[in-house]
Amino acid sequence: MALSTAAWVVMIGSIVVLWVPAVWALVRTLRDEGRKLELLTEQGKIDTYSPQALGELREWIEAHPDDAYEPEARRRYNECVETLHDIEEPFYEWSNAAVEDLQKLDRSE
Amino acid sequence: MASENEARTAREEWGTRFGFLMAMLGGMVGSGNIWRMPYTTGQNGGGAFLLAYIILLFVIAIPGLMAETALGSYTKQGVIGAFKKTYGRGWSEGFGLVVVVVTIALTSYYLPVVGQVLYYVAHSFLLTFSQPGFESVAFWNEFTASPLLTIGTHTIATVLVGGVLLFGIKRGIERVVKWMIPLLVVTLIVVAVRGLTLPGATAGLAFALTPDWNYLVRGQTWIAALGQALFSTGLGWGIALTFGSYLRQNDDIPLGAGIFTAIGNTSIGLLSIFAVFPVVFAFGLEPTAGAELTFVSLVSVFPQMAGGPIWAIVFFVGFFFAALSTGIVITEIGVSTIIEETRLDRSQTVLVVCTVVWLLGIPSAYSPAFLGTMDFMFGNWGLPLATLLIIGTVGWKIGPERLRVIELNRNADVYIGSWWNPVIKYVIPLVMVFIMVYYLLTNIAGSTMQTVGGVVLMTVLLVGAVLVMRVVRQRETTNVASGGD
Repeated sequence: MALSTAAWVVMIGSIVVLWVPAVWALVRTLRDEGRKLELLTEQGKIDTYSPQALGELREWIEAHPDDAYEPEARRRYNECVETLHDIEEPFYEWSNAAVEDLQKLDRSE
Repeated sequence: MASENEARTAREEWGTRFGFLMAMLGGMVGSGNIWRMPYTTGQNGGGAFLLAYIILLFVIAIPGLMAETALGSYTKQGVIGAFKKTYGRGWSEGFGLVVVVVTIALTSYYLPVVGQVLYYVAHSFLLTFSQPGFESVAFWNEFTASPLLTIGTHTIATVLVGGVLLFGIKRGIERVVKWMIPLLVVTLIVVAVRGLTLPGATAGLAFALTPDWNYLVRGQTWIAALGQALFSTGLGWGIALTFGSYLRQNDDIPLGAGIFTAIGNTSIGLLSIFAVFPVVFAFGLEPTAGAELTFVSLVSVFPQMAGGPIWAIVFFVGFFFAALSTGIVITEIGVSTIIEETRLDRSQTVLVVCTVVWLLGIPSAYSPAFLGTMDFMFGNWGLPLATLLIIGTVGWKIGPERLRVIELNRNADVYIGSWWNPVIKYVIPLVMVFIMVYYLLTNIAGSTMQTVGGVVLMTVLLVGAVLVMRVVRQRETTNVASGGD
């Protein structure tokens, strides 16, 4: 019994949609881990947020000054900014200009 | 005392990224992936079902797993501790207790299944299936009719699980799953290659993969796809939460715990289709036989294949790895939680938890009917309830936006946008409620007692757990206030 064209399309489509992303995700996350460990060994610390993620974190902190999670969010924000100022090579794609513009957030009164 | 306190505060972590990923996969890939995924696909329109399933996997399962892992990673606590850190001490910790009780119940009837697979692994090595005059039905009936064998194998399975858990996260679970899961994949590939080269094998692929697009407009197809997407990925069982709590400081969540775990698990399901169905159709077996497909039907065809004993060994070893890894992972949920909530150390906790699940599992080992009832109650009602409590907590108590900006995108290998928020807050909880109502309406007429029993049991469990935690915490507060220790 030969497989129909539709069955072939489904089989190949499933492989492309499942196995390809699974292998890609595995390789990508293991490579990223290797890169993080390399940077940690060289520099002792690494940046923890991408430019987009750190920008959103800052917006959220500024919009929610009285939130119960705000102190932890601010601590994480400041920690990332401090790290970016200290290290030579960031993990995420930070430009020198973007790093220079970053400032720690003081506690809002 | 100081050293004891230090030991308590030093939380264990995964040794490697690969270990964490394999542990997540090990928990999600169970025996159901081997026999359930192929026949559910074949029964519900083949390719049409796969399309529905993959859509739901991307829309619901992946974001949900990210949320559950992020909750564990942010709180750095087991199930009850995560609820305590989110809601505060008191009655709401009962939500965590519900999750623990459901997973312990699940473990109690899953370990007898691990024991069944172990029995077949042993006999595959003894070449029993290729002996002259071997009858697979009689062999299965003889096994299930013998309490000595069923309870004995359940006991061995429990000891194996406990033995691994005694060594902890890094030296126990991680060390075992790091080779068990890759070997499972290899065994499935080997069996798939053999199956696909059998005469008539393509009929199996045609059954499972030929799309009948009419199924896409049937509600039943989407319900089956939802069930498969949610239950096979283990969303909301406490696995991702517990394992997320052991992540290291710079570990990513979205790519590994979300995308890789959900898609990797489904990829193994697809591999099972290639491994099981060609054999089933090449030998004219009944594709919808469920669990018996493995224990009765497939066993009868291995002797008919060239090199049959080898294929039986390879298949059952892979099947055993899938079952045992899930057994180890779901038992760890209770262990992690009890270590945190009591003064017991890991060895004592493993002993207590394994003894409890062993005792609770004896009726399931003894009676397949009891096992079926437990699965109906806790699979249909307990797990959706646990999922609802965990995802509902992220969606409505913490808030998805807070968790996303503070925890999920921290150290992330891929950025997660704000599209994630409504999925966690509205879509998944609504889907879980819908599934529970659907089960209620479709089962109430056919199996009234079991259905009503399941609903009552879950209601009692929820209310009881909340009351228990309220009383426990009130007593602790009273003791502290009165100067007790």
